[in-house]
Amino acid sequence: MLSRLQRYGRSLVCFWSTSLEAELEYQLNLAVELLSVLGNLAGSLLVLSLLAGPSRQLGGWSWNSALVVLGVYTLLDGFTSCVLQPNLSRIVSHVQNGTLDFVLLKPIDSQFWLSTRSFSPWGLPGMVAGLVLMGWGVAHGDHQPTAEALLIAALLLLSGALILYSLWFLLAGLSIWFVKIWNATEVLRYTLVAGRYPITAYPPGLRVLFTVVLPVVFLTTVPAEALLGRASVQWVAGSLATATLSLIGTRAFWQVALRHYTSASS
Amino acid sequence: MHAIRSALKRSSILRGGRIARALLSSQYAYMLEYRAEIALWALSGVLPLIMLAVWQGSPGAAATGLSAQGLTRYFLAAFVVRQFSVVWLIYVFEEDTLQGKLSPQLLQPLQPLWRYLAAHVAEQFTRLPFVALMLLALALFQPGMLWWPTPSQLVLAVLAIQLAFILRFLLQSVVAMLCFWSERAGALDRLLLIPYLFLSGLVAPLESYPAPIHAFAQWTPFPSMLAFPAALLAGEPVEISLGFLRLGLWCGLLWPLVVVLWRAGIRRYSAMGA
Amino acid sequence: MPIVLAEGLSKRFRVSDKQPGLAGTMRHLLRRRYRDVEAVRDLSFRIEPGEVVGFLGPNGAGKTTTLKMLSGLIHPSSGRLEVAGCLPQRRQERFLQQITLVMGNRQQLIWDLPPLDSLRVNAAVYGIDASEAKRRITELAEMLELGEELRRPVRKLSLGQRMKAELLAALLHRPAVLFLDEPTLGLDVNAQVRVRDFLADYNRRYGATVLLTSHYMGDITALCERVLLIHQGHLFHDGSLDALTNRLAPCRQVRLELRHSQPTGAFAAFGAVESHQGHLVRLLVPRDQLTQQVGRLLSAFDVVDLEVSDPPIEELIGALFTAQPS
Repeated sequence: MLSRLQRYGRSLVCFWSTSLEAELEYQLNLAVELLSVLGNLAGSLLVLSLLAGPSRQLGGWSWNSALVVLGVYTLLDGFTSCVLQPNLSRIVSHVQNGTLDFVLLKPIDSQFWLSTRSFSPWGLPGMVAGLVLMGWGVAHGDHQPTAEALLIAALLLLSGALILYSLWFLLAGLSIWFVKIWNATEVLRYTLVAGRYPITAYPPGLRVLFTVVLPVVFLTTVPAEALLGRASVQWVAGSLATATLSLIGTRAFWQVALRHYTSASS
Repeated sequence: MHAIRSALKRSSILRGGRIARALLSSQYAYMLEYRAEIALWALSGVLPLIMLAVWQGSPGAAATGLSAQGLTRYFLAAFVVRQFSVVWLIYVFEEDTLQGKLSPQLLQPLQPLWRYLAAHVAEQFTRLPFVALMLLALALFQPGMLWWPTPSQLVLAVLAIQLAFILRFLLQSVVAMLCFWSERAGALDRLLLIPYLFLSGLVAPLESYPAPIHAFAQWTPFPSMLAFPAALLAGEPVEISLGFLRLGLWCGLLWPLVVVLWRAGIRRYSAMGA
Repeated sequence: MPIVLAEGLSKRFRVSDKQPGLAGTMRHLLRRRYRDVEAVRDLSFRIEPGEVVGFLGPNGAGKTTTLKMLSGLIHPSSGRLEVAGCLPQRRQERFLQQITLVMGNRQQLIWDLPPLDSLRVNAAVYGIDASEAKRRITELAEMLELGEELRRPVRKLSLGQRMKAELLAALLHRPAVLFLDEPTLGLDVNAQVRVRDFLADYNRRYGATVLLTSHYMGDITALCERVLLIHQGHLFHDGSLDALTNRLAPCRQVRLELRHSQPTGAFAAFGAVESHQGHLVRLLVPRDQLTQQVGRLLSAFDVVDLEVSDPPIEELIGALFTAQPS
């Protein structure tokens, strides 16, 4: 068991170091990413201030609290660019080029391989910017978080990341059946933009949509509330439950997908 | 009679018309094969709708100078404008130049950019039913959201949307030409997306911006790409002739630039061993 | 104890039947029509450890499908299959550690990086110690005649070098069973010979079982003592190549160069005349009469040169496939 864990750990280190090697050949990318993150941030802050209006609040959230939400979103967006996008959008090209066979023949779990094979450093500026925003919002807020609140917030961030992963994996995995809808993950990316703003900024109908159908609330609003010391038991439990169920769901989904692939392909 | 007919056949206008018809019909058949993908692309254009949801309840709505209904119409119009002015040239062009697929196209007596343009137009036609479906869904969800623009408004709006599309196409062509010099020109287009997002009025009506930023935006091509056609479609009062003049000027500025860059780029492409 | 055991192996695919064009799309939307394609029918064979077996057959015969079933990538529709003591389709770890699949038209090496980096990844994934991996790489590189190529990005290697690097990566974990799907596809003659020599050497050294599909008869004749001929999904022949030749061509080809040209019809009594051009004659003689007829030819005519050979096996197999429409 330990040796297996060691093998997976060693493989992960290997995956990411070779990935970085391949990516870091392009220095132009770093400049573009930095500019991109800064530009996006500046624009988002401007729009947020416009939305907040003269009263400097949005959906009942103070300015600094709204910054925390934006920070969490930026962090998760960076995470998407680092890990989710480079890996999961490749599933469809594996299916198209027949290289999924090689993944299946390795003595390592195929879901693990497909989810962690690449690492793009270009999402890191976004992740850093997100953390900075979160820190700023918390520091300038009127409530200093306790260690316990920070711990819960970290847990909820992890939970949110796992839910995000499950959503991405589900959509990317559909390419085993339908190669032609490979851009479903793009739709996801553009819809999750709603996470930039606290859930209460949306009309009640959309709030339900963003809780039950597309759990955006667990991605940004709930961890932000925890950071601001406002975590409520129901939402924490809900987030953890959703994350667990989603992960189990991806596993079950992948087994079904593989069974289809191995019986239908030639 | 026969001489006139053969002279007409050779005439470049008719020849151009034939080529256009052939290109458009073949590209349309091609796009039909990718309906599902295009439907999803249409679905991914929901950003204006999300922004509408946020703006509606926000304290800053008053500063936009638009009523609640005006705000709704503006963002819905922005949604429609964006659907029919989206340009994806850079992705296919970058791939084609890097993989040498451009070469066979260069051997034919047709400027390759026309092909890409035809592909975009065909994609818009394929997208049309899906956008209509999305608008229908919105109308079912909240009746009274949709409206019928007056015939003159509609004509002007459609004209403005097409010109906005051409403007975006030209701007992206300029960036695409850089593919002849760099392997990562696509990254530059990503940078241009940021001013488009914020200065075109996609995420916030331009009137809500502080005066200096609003003034600065007017000097860029971005408001012409979205804010102007959207205002026309939404029935907002806007300076029509000034707007079209701006559109025309920006197109007139970018077109020769594309031609020049294309010629220089092709020279380099052939020199490098196409 | 056979290392590969197949009994009644079959594979059927459901393919949807769609007509092109808009009308076809609408019809397909409203009423799906399917066809059943039988890729593999009732295949049964056993392979002992250490054998080198070739799968022969035209395109679409079912060779690649069979190989993929053996490696666990495809579920058989019916039949029993056991490889290295495991059920391939379960893709257990201990099964995957013992097999490898190399495909001539696809690659697993990372395109932008040198092969050494892909090898590092494979070593990590298969749980091979760094030092042990290094030793194996050196050994295999020597056998494959690869040197500084391992340090160049894969996209900068020639097809032959790439194939050799692919083989290295595939064999790093010393699998007991090698599945090779057209490994010499597109390689020039020299590279083909080198790959064949390497595979023969590897089989000798490590006693690995090799299952190989190929279009090039040279691969099969050079490497395989045993061939399985698959035609339209059926197993047509399971045995040695000589046995196949005997079965397909009960005749042998006799080529004569004569000192004086002979009239037409002079050779009709000795066998079927394939061609007769002045000094040069080509005859087909039944195997059982071979020595007798050759003796008679030598005594009847003034023969400068005589050659006895099999008709090229490609021709025989080609004739077989075109002749049998079933």
